[in-house]
Amino acid sequence: MSSTEAIVLAKLPRSRRRHPLAVWLSLALLGVVTFLVLFGNLIAPDATAQSILDSLLPPGSPGHLLGTDELGRDVLALTIAGAASALVGPVCVALGSMVLGILLGTVSGYLRGPIDFIIGRWTDLLFSLPLLLAAIVVAGVFGAGYWMTVLLLILLFSPSDIRIVRAGVMEQAARPFVEAAQMLSLSKARIMFTQVLPNVWSLIITNSMLNVAFALVAFSSLSFLGVGVAPGTADWGRQLTDGRAIMIDNPAAVLVPALLIIGVASAANLVGDWLGQRLTRTGRS
Amino acid sequence: MTAQVSVTALTIDGPAGVVVAPFDFSIAPGETLALIGESGSGKTLSAKAIAGLLPAGFTARGTIALSSATIELPSTDAVWRATRGRRISLLLQDPFTSLSPVHRCGTQIGMTIDAASATRLSRDERTARITRSLAEVNLPADVARAYPHELSGGMRQRVAIAAALATDPELLIADEPTTALDASNQGEILDLLRGLQEKRGMAALLISHDLGMVRGRAEHVLVMRHGEIVERGVTSSVLNAPSHPYTRALIDADPSLTDRSARVVRGASGAGVSGSAEAKATGTTADSTTVSVDATADLVVATAVTKSFGDKTVLHGVSITVGRGETVGVVGESGSGKTTIARCIAGLERESSGVIEFEGVALAPGRASRTPKQMQIVFQDPYSSLNPMISVGRSLKLALRVAGRPASDLNGLLQLVELPADFASKRPAELSGGQRQRIAIARALAVQPQLLICDESVSALDVSVQKQILDLLAKLRVDLGLSILFISHDLAVVRQLADRVYVLRNGNVVESGQCHDVLTSPQHPYTQSLVAASIHEAAPH
Repeated sequence: MSSTEAIVLAKLPRSRRRHPLAVWLSLALLGVVTFLVLFGNLIAPDATAQSILDSLLPPGSPGHLLGTDELGRDVLALTIAGAASALVGPVCVALGSMVLGILLGTVSGYLRGPIDFIIGRWTDLLFSLPLLLAAIVVAGVFGAGYWMTVLLLILLFSPSDIRIVRAGVMEQAARPFVEAAQMLSLSKARIMFTQVLPNVWSLIITNSMLNVAFALVAFSSLSFLGVGVAPGTADWGRQLTDGRAIMIDNPAAVLVPALLIIGVASAANLVGDWLGQRLTRTGRS
Repeated sequence: MTAQVSVTALTIDGPAGVVVAPFDFSIAPGETLALIGESGSGKTLSAKAIAGLLPAGFTARGTIALSSATIELPSTDAVWRATRGRRISLLLQDPFTSLSPVHRCGTQIGMTIDAASATRLSRDERTARITRSLAEVNLPADVARAYPHELSGGMRQRVAIAAALATDPELLIADEPTTALDASNQGEILDLLRGLQEKRGMAALLISHDLGMVRGRAEHVLVMRHGEIVERGVTSSVLNAPSHPYTRALIDADPSLTDRSARVVRGASGAGVSGSAEAKATGTTADSTTVSVDATADLVVATAVTKSFGDKTVLHGVSITVGRGETVGVVGESGSGKTTIARCIAGLERESSGVIEFEGVALAPGRASRTPKQMQIVFQDPYSSLNPMISVGRSLKLALRVAGRPASDLNGLLQLVELPADFASKRPAELSGGQRQRIAIARALAVQPQLLICDESVSALDVSVQKQILDLLAKLRVDLGLSILFISHDLAVVRQLADRVYVLRNGNVVESGQCHDVLTSPQHPYTQSLVAASIHEAAPH
């Protein structure tokens, strides 16, 4: 265990240790939502079908468990189908910025010198951009689009990944086992990615799960502002915008997607922490 | 503070039953009791139990009677808060981790003073008491403004002592207080503690694995093994006439307490006449085990090597040669540059100037000009020199692959360092310090290097484990015809292994020559003081 880790762990009050029950519930929720992402369109194929006759039914109406919105779309079906759009983007953002973080962070932290300086200034630049404002500007210039948003968020999320991986790599690179690898004349790339990186995985995993949660909220915010997915698409963030106007007539139209966003974001956080702790423990005596 | 400190029926229960069997002891004011044992014997757990700091899963039973209070174990947090730091203070092994890195030393001493005083102290009074505490441990007042990283290991341990004693405790528990320090610092710190203790009439419990250190510094001694007291008594009689075989073994394993040359088979050669004579006298040598030291064919010649970090010069032109099959010791205190010269030779540091030749060919600074087969290094800390996320087998196979050897050589490699084959599947965290160091040696030997550099390779280990590793190195040296560059601050250890020795001080070689000559009749005053410090550790009082 590194000394900084020891200090951080010692300072954490006992209550911060994640209770396994909370972790199991989080895993269960993420499991259900993953199932919806994969098969949501099969379960609710007609989620976006409109029916003026059925508009604004309250929850519990026959045939519409969670009621309908003002366009007569079934809220339950819409929520099930909206999981894919709500989650695929954030997961792609987390993976994309993880890959950038691993590549640039490891190179930056291990090689140091001019390349570290250049990467460092690049992350400073990205850090200084306000996320939502940048997204709105990009949407205004290139037009709003789901995958455009994914790319933009990868770019804007990557500096924290780069910095975190860099810090972890710098700490590990000073350890004698890295010098032992140098004594075997292994190439720098080989030392970086086979010797140093395994010791930084716990940081990376924890951070990436956090990123899923942040990206989920960011996507929903963008959809809410109208620069994310196109109107009419099944998406939790979009449901918030559309449902806001009919909150009195059918509260479920807003509450259900809102609670799901909060729940999935919290679950990703909890599971990330738990995974990180388990990975850290693997190498510890 | 006149009554003695007594502990009755101290028992520690762990998750799997009793860890430390019931034992009693008492310490008179101003006296020291030493608790001796190897790591894992339960000595540190006992210390922690008395300080109320047992890790989760362990509980203590028994009674601690101080003059001012009696504590029935297990006790409550409230009782411990009133006791710990005020009546009982704890001094830890490692001054690097026991001081907070983000607070100035004065602030940290002030915190203990504040915690122990009933009334709020004024700023001036607090500063005065901090200065007085520092003066007691022979530190200047301006140390109060320094951060721990700005101080040397010895100074840091003094600050820790000042903090521990600032509250005038009745009992001081010192858990391996000098293990992390240099030989010359060790004696000073212990004598300082002893003086303060006598002046204050404070009782001390000294936890140690080092018998040589205890001699002359403790009135009584307890020897602990597997959680049981196997021997107790007056220090001198226990050390001179141990009754338990375990105590005997501990004494035998201690390099400062026994005749070194009798225990390790040394290479005999033209260059090492004195070594061979000694070995013959003690009857341990055999002609079949002699190695030839060919002084005419030097393997490594380092000439006038200098090294600066920023504007700080660490090496001022150091010249060292290592012959084929020869073991060369480099001794000196921390900061003498001994590790830096080793790292320059290994290519892990780039020398600022000077020439390093290997088999007559000059090597450019840095790793790029060196091959794994030329040299390998075994580091000091076996806990950080193995990659924690990679199994032992994978680490060793990687090294074998680098040398172009088949992975099937793995078992032979483990056999070479006397470990069973099933160790391959373990991760470093599952191994003890000595086992890890064996793996580190195996990894170094996997590529069949000509030179093995040992950078303080045994100084982090217990004495008995230290002896095993030294024996292993001595055996490998003979079997494989290895040249060894052995860096150490511990003269007793170097004496066991080295043919020739260099003494480094402040980046200069102050003395060099045959190991036996230099260590028995040192010429330079600095070497004399080092040898005196090491003999002082061992001398009977």
